[in-house]
Amino acid sequence: MASVAARSFVFRQQMNTRRFDFASCLNIKSFYSSYSANPKEKSPENYTQYHEVSSDNWKFVERLKPPTVVPSFPKNGSCFSDWTPPPDTPPNLPYFVKRTKNFMVPVYLNFEAVRNQRKITMVKHIEGDIWALEKAIKSHLEEVTKRQVVSQVHEVAMYIKFRGDYVLHVKKWLLNAGF
Amino acid sequence: MATKIINKTVTEFSLRITRCFFVPSKTIQTNATLFQERLETSITNVEEQLPTTIRPPLPIIHSRKLAFPPKFKAPRQVWVSNMDTVEEEKLGLIDLHPEVFAERPRVDIIHENVRWQQLYRHVSYANTKMRYEVRGGGKKPRQQKGSGRSRHGSIRSPIWRGGGIVHGPRSPTPYFYMLGFNTRLNGLRSTLSAKLAQDDLHIVDSLDIPTDDPSYLEKLVEERGWGPAVLFVDDNDIMPLNITAASDSHGHYNLMPVYGLNVYSMLKHHTLVLTLAAVERLEERLLFHLNRNDAASAGQKYRLDSV
Repeated sequence: MASVAARSFVFRQQMNTRRFDFASCLNIKSFYSSYSANPKEKSPENYTQYHEVSSDNWKFVERLKPPTVVPSFPKNGSCFSDWTPPPDTPPNLPYFVKRTKNFMVPVYLNFEAVRNQRKITMVKHIEGDIWALEKAIKSHLEEVTKRQVVSQVHEVAMYIKFRGDYVLHVKKWLLNAGF
Repeated sequence: MATKIINKTVTEFSLRITRCFFVPSKTIQTNATLFQERLETSITNVEEQLPTTIRPPLPIIHSRKLAFPPKFKAPRQVWVSNMDTVEEEKLGLIDLHPEVFAERPRVDIIHENVRWQQLYRHVSYANTKMRYEVRGGGKKPRQQKGSGRSRHGSIRSPIWRGGGIVHGPRSPTPYFYMLGFNTRLNGLRSTLSAKLAQDDLHIVDSLDIPTDDPSYLEKLVEERGWGPAVLFVDDNDIMPLNITAASDSHGHYNLMPVYGLNVYSMLKHHTLVLTLAAVERLEERLLFHLNRNDAASAGQKYRLDSV
């Protein structure tokens, strides 16, 4: 009982002293905006030593990194896929269909969110006379599929949409046309 | 708690995109004491004190190498002017990349950009009280049955005169949203193309002017037929002292670094004046984004639903 009282008395004394002794309690942590802004970290003896082995071997690291920008395709040799490179000269037509940045033909299959899902073939990156292009592709599709084809020409955004899945037909036509 | 979250979201993203898109007209920093000294000893009479400009035989600027050379589209050629004299002197002719400066202007994308720039920082402070906030209305007005009148639970219900508003404005309501990365990119391309096509785009070698007299800029803009409002864009965000001092008193002559270029400012100012360094930087950045390998990660840091 007495020891408990003594201990509690000592504790209270310590508490009393501690209550007024802020200086020892305060250990402000500084958070610097960046690693290099911290002055403590600049001295080199805190860290292990290093030495440069060879700067010639950096090429082995660089070739593992992916390219930041789309690299150009190899000019010679054939591809095992059915991809053909874009031609060097444009065809002599009143319209032009530009390849995407990955050198692909810009024909896409979209699905319209109607009750029974509707397939839409979209041709993008069109420049020039869009109506002439639409007429040409439409007549070709009607000839090939032997049925009427519904299309939409968006003059502001410069794309054409065909109702139905004609992606392969349109791509083939564009490649034959020389785009 | 809800208010705190909203404020955090708005400020967090507005801070992140401040550097890119929102630049107040007088962000440019100069040494305040130096500026004061210069004001005291400034040139009063412009015509007498201007140094004569001695130039090597023209054209000084011959050509420019275009990154990602365009295959079938012809580069657009523009004159490079000077800012040394009031009269325009053409220093040379340069090429501008057609994918940046000769793109078909998409008016709908320009509109979307302007709307976004105006709305993303807008917070509506309009407020109406709901039925539990309107003073009174805790007590049932009359007994449920017996009076012959309609039954009510509170005099502040929405069907009562003076009652609470059900779906009214609730303060503060943020209208923050991020426009898609490619929409913003194409907005810049469309606006630059429109500016060039409408003769509102001029290229200068640098923004160094011989005097800090505000009337020098006025005379220069008047002489060259540039619009009432001119936006000067340079690569560096610390501009030369003279042009900063000269344009300071005019609210319609504004200086901007390339990273602050935005559709709203370009449309607000009649004329856009780019330095050669600004053109280089602008083309390099825009063409990089048009040809980058990892397009999906371009807008990653602005996506709200992912970390």
